[in-house]
Amino acid sequence: MKTFEVFLKKDGKDEFRHAGSMQAPDAQMAIPLAREVYARRAEGDLMWLVDRDNLIVADPGLLAPNADKGHRHNDGKRVADHRKAQRAEVDGAAE
Amino acid sequence: MTLSPGAVEWLLAFADDEHMMGARHASWIGLGPFLEEDLAFCSIAQDELGHAIALYDYLTDDLDRFALLRQPGEYRSSWLSELPCQRWDEALVRHWLYDRAEALRWGSVAHSSVPGLAQLAARAEREESFHREHAEMFLSRIACGDDAGRAMISAALEGMLPQALALWEPVAGEAEAVADGVTDATSAQLGDRWHGLVSRDLARWGIRVDWPAASVGQNERTVRSAPFAELYASLQEVINIDPSATW
Repeated sequence: MKTFEVFLKKDGKDEFRHAGSMQAPDAQMAIPLAREVYARRAEGDLMWLVDRDNLIVADPGLLAPNADKGHRHNDGKRVADHRKAQRAEVDGAAE
Repeated sequence: MTLSPGAVEWLLAFADDEHMMGARHASWIGLGPFLEEDLAFCSIAQDELGHAIALYDYLTDDLDRFALLRQPGEYRSSWLSELPCQRWDEALVRHWLYDRAEALRWGSVAHSSVPGLAQLAARAEREESFHREHAEMFLSRIACGDDAGRAMISAALEGMLPQALALWEPVAGEAEAVADGVTDATSAQLGDRWHGLVSRDLARWGIRVDWPAASVGQNERTVRSAPFAELYASLQEVINIDPSATW
């Protein structure tokens, strides 16, 4: 058995999204089986299957050093907290 | 449109076949050889039950009671559809034989005089093309594997060919159904085409089969086979808890 990664795309501007993984004896049989597993409720209009053997997989060690670089996360929370503190300071001075 | 007795028999035979095939296929839920195939086979079962409901709609206003609570002699299912097929190779071979036949039956009503039946046939064919592809993909891989695979298919096939041939025993009043334009082909004509398609598949797979001379003799489909009793009991198990309940 081979393992396939299944991607679906709804018509329009949505991108292909990973629907999940599945097993099938070979590529030809994988297509109808993938339809039954992931698209039987019309979840997509287009479908890609990728044989997992053909994936280029990065070493998790390569990605790990980026996990603790908070300054690269521009989620606005630190800025918001800073401004909230400043407003509180101004309001406090005015009273 | 009032259906003639022959038309009713013809539609009932088709509907009951779809019903029994759906029920028999569905018994593989959770038992398929791998998860993806389990889903695919049960999806096929659901399609067949959907076709049964659509055909029963021509015959009754009380679907559940009609589908489940008739007397055995009132069913018109073929003996092929009543077979248990408790081995996976048997289930696959029956699936292939039946869906080859089903396509021909839908094709024969593509211009039917029965209102809505042609549209139903077109919708069913979209599902059936997948059913045939599924059966063909599976069996061709087993057949092209080794002698053991071909022997397995041959054995399963020879065990059910008499019942499969009985698919083409005409129901009472078939001539009337053909004359009314319900279907554009007799069972004998469809049976000949089916024989050709099945033989072509077998030749491609390198499987030789000795065709039996005659079918099992269902007496215009009025006689049920021995395995029907167990299927019939299981179909009624839930509805008989409270036959008056509305589901």
